[in-house]
Amino acid sequence: MLVRKIKDKLFIVGIATLTFLTILPLFHIVFSVAVEGLPVLLKGGWNFITGTLAPPDDGLGGIGPAIVGTFVLTFLASLLGLPIAILTGIYAAEYPNSLLGKATKTLLMIMMEFPTILVGLFVMQILVVPMGSYSALAGALALAIVMMPYVAVYTEEALRGIPKKYREGAFALGLTRFNVVFRVLIGLARKGILTGVLIGIAKVAGETAPLLFTAGGATRTYFEGINRPVGAIPLLIYDLVQQPYKNYHEIAWGASLLLLIIFLAIFLPIRLSLKEVKL
Amino acid sequence: MNAIETEDLHIYYGKNHVIKGVNLEIPEKSVFAIMGPSGCGKSTLLRSLNRLLELNEDAKIKGDIRLFGKSVFDMDPIIVRREVGMVFQHPNPFPHMSIFDNIALGLKLNRLVKSKNELKKIVKWALEKSALWDEVKDKLHEPASALSGGEMQRLCIARAIALKPKVLLMDEPTANLDPVSARKIEELIFELKKDLTIVIVTHSPAQAARVSDYVAFLYLGKLIEVGKTEDIFENPKEELTEKYLTGRMG
Repeated sequence: MLVRKIKDKLFIVGIATLTFLTILPLFHIVFSVAVEGLPVLLKGGWNFITGTLAPPDDGLGGIGPAIVGTFVLTFLASLLGLPIAILTGIYAAEYPNSLLGKATKTLLMIMMEFPTILVGLFVMQILVVPMGSYSALAGALALAIVMMPYVAVYTEEALRGIPKKYREGAFALGLTRFNVVFRVLIGLARKGILTGVLIGIAKVAGETAPLLFTAGGATRTYFEGINRPVGAIPLLIYDLVQQPYKNYHEIAWGASLLLLIIFLAIFLPIRLSLKEVKL
Repeated sequence: MNAIETEDLHIYYGKNHVIKGVNLEIPEKSVFAIMGPSGCGKSTLLRSLNRLLELNEDAKIKGDIRLFGKSVFDMDPIIVRREVGMVFQHPNPFPHMSIFDNIALGLKLNRLVKSKNELKKIVKWALEKSALWDEVKDKLHEPASALSGGEMQRLCIARAIALKPKVLLMDEPTANLDPVSARKIEELIFELKKDLTIVIVTHSPAQAARVSDYVAFLYLGKLIEVGKTEDIFENPKEELTEKYLTGRMG
């Protein structure tokens, strides 16, 4: 009896410890980024958000071009990726037993786990090399490819989660399949689809690897056109920490905190407020 | 004239033979009940009549189903479903749409109305016909999910009859309702049969006796007996029917 109780306790303590160790890095990241980054943001002030990069060992300047670049890249990636991803998700949900439907689901799962640096290499091959220059378009295309499987899988799951009775109800009204999907089911699944869209956006807003060989990075010029190189916050952090200058490391911490804030601003509302439609 | 006829109808789910050679003649503007114990194939049979069964890829249909003399398999399934409306066992108004939009959807997407005024008129007509107008006239634009179960089911009836179908299929429409709501639906059936043919599936012989003019008794996918309701209930010819009606089965 006593032995069993002790075993029980040990088990619970063991699991609790492992759980704590698992989520420890998350708190460590948030904490250290806040501690190191907050003084930088306070010191840099408004100029840190709107200004351009300072010279080495000469103050903080700002990371405006990278912030604008991140928004431009995310917007363009959404423009390229979302329509295709949502249609793909619809296809996989509507034709789950067809050969192409089954293949789509499997391929989407593989794409989700695909090393994103390879996506960057692929886009470099098909866009950067022929155009002869890094560009916002190439960066956005790479991000779109990273984003698509998330949105498609969430869309597919949201549609598949709709009880059969609504589907049958819509068909029983003599609606075409197109109308059943686009006028009834999409509306029912909208929260799930929106969750997928926001998760896709949050994911690519923080991506670095797909941008390495595509976006090019720009620290002193703002967005100049989709065929020109563009900066991005993760890319800037990656560049700055490799430099031997103390002020660049400080800027990197500030940029990290901003990136974290942008990420949380997209991600927290998803988790807190989006609830599935009551079915 | 018969609204619906089935001829040597067989239905299979994969290798499962669920409907076995059923011949039915359903007269126009009557209430035709299909009764039988759970799992006897009633719902499957009903769903084949408006070709809804074909949404299920495993289902195979053999034989013929005629709607006013014309084979439904020679018709576009979309047209069949417009002419043969359906109400389901679980009330299924679209929860993200308003009461008004639930009814307006089919009318708009099937292009059955020319103006907003006409749309409003038909929605009102359908709600009055389904005895729901007085309860919802002040909240037409509120979500349909706020209604009670019985109200939802009447909304589904309104949604179906708004398209002016010739036949209305009802799959155990009162199975999930309280007795008062169930009674309202049954009263509605009397009202509706003046204009259309109703085919109702029920596992309750009492309900079949109350609402129907004709009744078919289905057992393990076979049609055991069919005829005028009073004849079947007063004088069943088959032993199985008598057993079922006297509660010694199912």
